[in-house]
Amino acid sequence: MDNIFTGLAGLAAVLAALPLVIMVAGILVRGLPAISWRFLTEQIRLVGADGGIFYNLIGTLILIGVAILICAPIATGLALTQAVFLRNQAARARLGLFLYTLNGIPSIVFGIFGFIVFVNYLGWGKSWLTGGILLAIMILPTVTVALIERIKALPAKYVEAATGLGLRPSQVIWSVILPQSWGGLITGSLLGLARAAGETAPIMFTATIFAGATLPHGIRESPVLSLPYHIFILAQDSFDPAVGAKLWGSALVLLALVFALSVVALPFRLRMHEEAHG
Amino acid sequence: MDKSGTSRQEDTAVATQEVFRVSNLSVRSRGKTILTQVNVTIEANQVFGIIGPSGAGKSTFLRCLNRLSDLTPELKVDGRIEYHGRSINDPAIDPDDLRARIGFLFQQPVVFPKSVLENVTFGLRHLRRLHRAALAEAAERALTEAALWNEVKDRLDDSALTLSVGQQQRLCLARALATEPEVILMDEPTSALDPKSTQAIEDLILSLKERHTIVLVTHNLGQARRVTDWLACLCVREGGGTIAETACCDALLENPQCQEVVEYLGAGDTLTSS
Repeated sequence: MDNIFTGLAGLAAVLAALPLVIMVAGILVRGLPAISWRFLTEQIRLVGADGGIFYNLIGTLILIGVAILICAPIATGLALTQAVFLRNQAARARLGLFLYTLNGIPSIVFGIFGFIVFVNYLGWGKSWLTGGILLAIMILPTVTVALIERIKALPAKYVEAATGLGLRPSQVIWSVILPQSWGGLITGSLLGLARAAGETAPIMFTATIFAGATLPHGIRESPVLSLPYHIFILAQDSFDPAVGAKLWGSALVLLALVFALSVVALPFRLRMHEEAHG
Repeated sequence: MDKSGTSRQEDTAVATQEVFRVSNLSVRSRGKTILTQVNVTIEANQVFGIIGPSGAGKSTFLRCLNRLSDLTPELKVDGRIEYHGRSINDPAIDPDDLRARIGFLFQQPVVFPKSVLENVTFGLRHLRRLHRAALAEAAERALTEAALWNEVKDRLDDSALTLSVGQQQRLCLARALATEPEVILMDEPTSALDPKSTQAIEDLILSLKERHTIVLVTHNLGQARRVTDWLACLCVREGGGTIAETACCDALLENPQCQEVVEYLGAGDTLTSS
């Protein structure tokens, strides 16, 4: 009986890993030939059939960079509210429910919301800032929850010792709680960004275009190129073999970016794990 | 014997300054009584010891004195605690200022994962705006007062976690002393320490009482005998801890009046003699 159970569990693990392995292998095999220094440093040419993805990569980096700059302070405030300031269990539960609900909202809804509010109502047109704001809202739950977990794992003795010395709550936060939990902010941010980097739906109506943009200038009518939208458009044209090669190359670069963000987060997560169980 | 416990403190009271006056202190947590009807007076420049069985609320009592109990929202504190004649729950009293004047030494040394110097100046840096030189001077003074200066003067920039547990506890004491508190509350400060470090802390307690008032919770009756001037014995009565007896140290240990204290001390003697 035990053997059957172990076998089934192992089978589930293999079934889960298999698509990932096949997908990564497929992207590597088809994408690698397209990767070159030129591909990474040149702009798009011939509607994606030639040239590179330089400004797409830059655009995606701008979007996720703006997202984290907006998200980090808000997530810090939310996490402190939840883990430090709120003494009432019911209020904590409500804030937790809010975060999980926000996390469950489909990304296309963010796209429509951003289109109505920023593109139309505020009249920004397509703008890198809208994309950054929308991605920031999307990753807010991930970053906040990671930080909350980290703050809750912090031994109470540090807070007691600092409070016992006569430090004010704000001083305890700045000198004890935040310095010892910034690893959670980094972990959450990197995991959130890994997800945000690949999102197409929130930015396709609000922040990104296929071709003709370089670096942003101002806020209004200032779109950027991006990797996921580039892949989305090329995928619709991929019967052209030249476009196909660029498509797989772009997919590989995006995959590498996401993978890099997850790998950078790994040491922080391991350290957290050690401290929680060691 | 009256219900609130015998107190022979009033009989022998001399004209000393009263630091704490606790009246009818009760503490409950989630419906469970921890302390009930605690009445006690603590005078300046004394070592006031608190002994009693585990679970009688000794630590909770200590935490109430500087409102560290505020950090545990489920604790419901009733009654009156006066510090120099003013209620510590007076809205005009800032609990952070109160804690700056009433230091706390925990059972286990709590050093921050920072350097020795940063640890000793941790409170000071936040409470007062001092220049580097003044800060270094204050650090040396506090470390000297805690009898640690000679051992750490060459490794001030090392992580405090590299010190031995005994040294860490003295570092915590130095950190509390650096802010020049009037009172130091100590919650079994030597229970995690080896005999040599315990000896060092006990010597310190005796020298510190010239300038500070010390409230010491201890499980060690020998320690109580060696360092305390007054002793209170917290015993569990009707489900909550209360002060069964207060007396000067020798009187309480040699000639306890209250049956619970006799039993507690008796158990302690068997424990130490076995």
